Amino acid sequence: MSDATIIILLSMITTGLMLGMIFSLVAVGVTIIYGSIWMPNAANGQFFLLAALLLWSASVSWGLHPALAALIIIGLSVPFSYALEILLIRRFYDVPNRNISYFVLSLGITQILAGIFSITYGIWSDQFQLPPLVGGLTMLGPFPMVNNRLAAMLIAALLLVALFTLLRYHRYGRALRAVFQNREAAALRGVDVRAVYRMSFVLGNAVVFAGGVLFACAYSFDFSIAWTMAITAFAIMIIGGPGSVLGALVIGMVFGLTQAAVSIFASPTIAAFSYLGAMLVILLFRPSGLFAR
Amino acid sequence: MTLLDAKLVSMRFGGVVALSDVNVHQEAGETLGVIGPNGSGKTTLVNVITGHLTPQNGAVLFDGAPLLGRKPFQIAAAGLSRTYQSVRVFSELTTRENIATALLDAPRPLPSEGVAETAEWLGLTPRFDARAGSLTLYEQRRLEILMRLVQQPKLLMLDEPVGGLSSAEVRATINLLSELKARCTIFVIEHTMKVIRELADRVIVLVAGEKIADGPPAEILSDQRVIEKYLGSVDA
Amino acid sequence: MNVLTSRWLPHAIFAFAAFAMPLVFSGNRYFAFIVGITLLSVLWATGMNLLYGYTGLMPLMFAGIAGISAYVTIGLSAAGWSFWLAMLVGSIAASLVGIVLGLPSLRLRGFYFTLCSLVIQSVITLAFVYFVNLTNGDVGISHIPLPELPGGGQLTGTSYELVLAALTVIGVVVLTLLVESGFGHRLIAIREDDGLAETLGINVTRQRLAAFFIASLFASIGGALYAPYVGFVSPRSFDVLVSLNIWLMVAFGGRGTIWGPVVGAVILAPLPFLLQDYYMIKDVVYGLLIIGVIVLLPAGIVGGWKRKAAAGEPAPDVAQKTAPAR
Ligand SMILES: Nc1ncnc2c1ncn2[C@@H]1O[C@H](COP(=O)(O)OP(=O)(O)O)[C@@H](O)[C@H]1O
Ligand SMILES: [Mg+2]
Repeated sequence: MSDATIIILLSMITTGLMLGMIFSLVAVGVTIIYGSIWMPNAANGQFFLLAALLLWSASVSWGLHPALAALIIIGLSVPFSYALEILLIRRFYDVPNRNISYFVLSLGITQILAGIFSITYGIWSDQFQLPPLVGGLTMLGPFPMVNNRLAAMLIAALLLVALFTLLRYHRYGRALRAVFQNREAAALRGVDVRAVYRMSFVLGNAVVFAGGVLFACAYSFDFSIAWTMAITAFAIMIIGGPGSVLGALVIGMVFGLTQAAVSIFASPTIAAFSYLGAMLVILLFRPSGLFAR
Repeated sequence: MTLLDAKLVSMRFGGVVALSDVNVHQEAGETLGVIGPNGSGKTTLVNVITGHLTPQNGAVLFDGAPLLGRKPFQIAAAGLSRTYQSVRVFSELTTRENIATALLDAPRPLPSEGVAETAEWLGLTPRFDARAGSLTLYEQRRLEILMRLVQQPKLLMLDEPVGGLSSAEVRATINLLSELKARCTIFVIEHTMKVIRELADRVIVLVAGEKIADGPPAEILSDQRVIEKYLGSVDA
Repeated sequence: MNVLTSRWLPHAIFAFAAFAMPLVFSGNRYFAFIVGITLLSVLWATGMNLLYGYTGLMPLMFAGIAGISAYVTIGLSAAGWSFWLAMLVGSIAASLVGIVLGLPSLRLRGFYFTLCSLVIQSVITLAFVYFVNLTNGDVGISHIPLPELPGGGQLTGTSYELVLAALTVIGVVVLTLLVESGFGHRLIAIREDDGLAETLGINVTRQRLAAFFIASLFASIGGALYAPYVGFVSPRSFDVLVSLNIWLMVAFGGRGTIWGPVVGAVILAPLPFLLQDYYMIKDVVYGLLIIGVIVLLPAGIVGGWKRKAAAGEPAPDVAQKTAPAR
């Protein structure tokens, strides 16, 4: 193999890993919310974009250090989620078939945020790029790696591990899983189901925000990322199994790697077709997903 | 004349064996009772016969024609009707609309005088314009039966028709059902011994998916095995 | 006679308004165009109502079906076919596709069906973008020729709007007849409890697919007429947002009633034109409307009003209600 091929292959793998981790993060966020409150949040893509745009403003316009700005933005997602929860989400906790109401609600939120973005950021630019978090290159043997992407990957990996640990071992994680499995039984065992709902909504969105912030650090982006992300996260959630964190992690990585491979060898339309096709097949023949609980 | 003949029916859900090699035979005009503890496969038996589930094994003949592989709506059209263990009516529609819905695709719909007479008999006439969901449980149970009777089924399978009713209502239902025997053949699943003792001409006992006894109620209900397996384990 | 007049009186009033509006605004092409688009929207909303209101499924691929019909009709007309024949073939073809797209409804319920329909809509949109030689891709097709008239000349201006009015009135009347027929009652039974409907002898599969075929016919006739009327189509003309807007008209007006979706379309279809000067906030307004309907008006304007009227009557012994719904 020539060096050029290896460089292409290597960049494909790193891009794939990076995308995969971001996909996994967002899909985990979406699946936590679906698993607990049955809200298929189609607005996740807009939340993702919101985080990315805020980071762009904070670091490009106001000159904050991106790392500090990222922390602040993820922190801001908490009151944002709380406000939404109080205003809209909790009204539906006891509604039968609420997932369809939530789905439509989140499409409404999508429209509003998309409208706001085009009024505000839309008049500034259609492509957004942040200064790198860290500069320079690292040589991996003879092959150069961009430090900035390596850093973003490292943070994404740490976040995923932390999230997985939280859900696996922490008291909240256990309560969440109890609610996932059977909310009536969980309520009988003294789990405060509504508190778990609220926590899931806040945590899920925070994770989506983190994904957006990390993506903005590593790549330039435009508005279309919102729709792409929303569809991708839904596809991952459905294929992995709604409510399955493990499914979201595994399928997210698979999607990232295929996306990276496909975008080198075929057109992005083909990639989109194949996601949608895979999602359709799963919906029709195994609606509980590959990693059904 | 043999109305229903199910042979060697076996139904498994994954590892759970809900029915194993069950034979059921019912003559026209004979009231057949089915008893058995919770989870013994009684509802599953009805689901298999009415086409809601496909068994791994077995054959079902109804009125001489094979049923397996036919869809529930086709089986209903053949004159085999069933009710559900937990009451099921169109709760957003009125009583009248519920009855009209039952008449839509009935192959032998009862003429309207017959419908009025049956509704009167079941005491539902005053509730015709009420939303079915606003009826009492006892009224909903009777509406369920009315919706089947307007189709003039040859065989009516009732899954725990007195479940959730008060003892006075159980008494009244038993009376209704014994009058019902003159209108169509009944297959009745019951938990309450009293119902079976008073209604059934023959009883079969299911335990853990197996038929352990089959015979006249007096004989079966004094059978030592049945008492052990059934009365010993269930509050009856 | 009396019963007949009162039963069809709303239809007569609607028909009168539908034919009068294009004539009233015949002097002003801009307003007349708004009327035309509103009529088309009423037709679409009425078709979606058959699915969303009477089978209880929320289909987000409705615009995609309209688009298939529009592209097929344009293609066949360009190949030298008469517009009307092309429209017939296009509509039937698209409605057959509609049946195929209805197949998931046999397996999936509620959110899963809606998500599936959204995926299908996205695939259709991608296909419109991808098959450039049929659709001219993202650029779209402009200068679509107007339908020819039998006596020579073209269908244009006010006469186009009158044709739209006629089809819309027919659409509403057809929906009324369907809903009041056994077919409509079967659909309602299936919407309320499909398992019970099947147990009572109703062929659920056939009724559902028939509903998809008929609703798709509404979508595709509208789509075929939309293209020459506006003169331009692109994949954006038939994307998920269009589906969502049609859904909003139905939900906002009141699904499962004949007039709810008509009212919804009459209120919402002209909105983008009225908001034209505030073009930027259009999306925000739509988003707020969607949320408002879901949170405040789950039964829609007409449905909510009906429910209030019903609540006025004393419900007999509600207190006795002990039965669980299922
Ligand atoms: N659809 C199903 N899927 C999986 N298991 C089922 C299903 N229906 C019934 N079972 C199982 O089959 C067994 C028999 O159930 P059922 O026929 O409902 O019992 P019964 O009506 O006698 O109380 C039970 O163990 C039950 O859990
Ligand atoms: Mg049972």
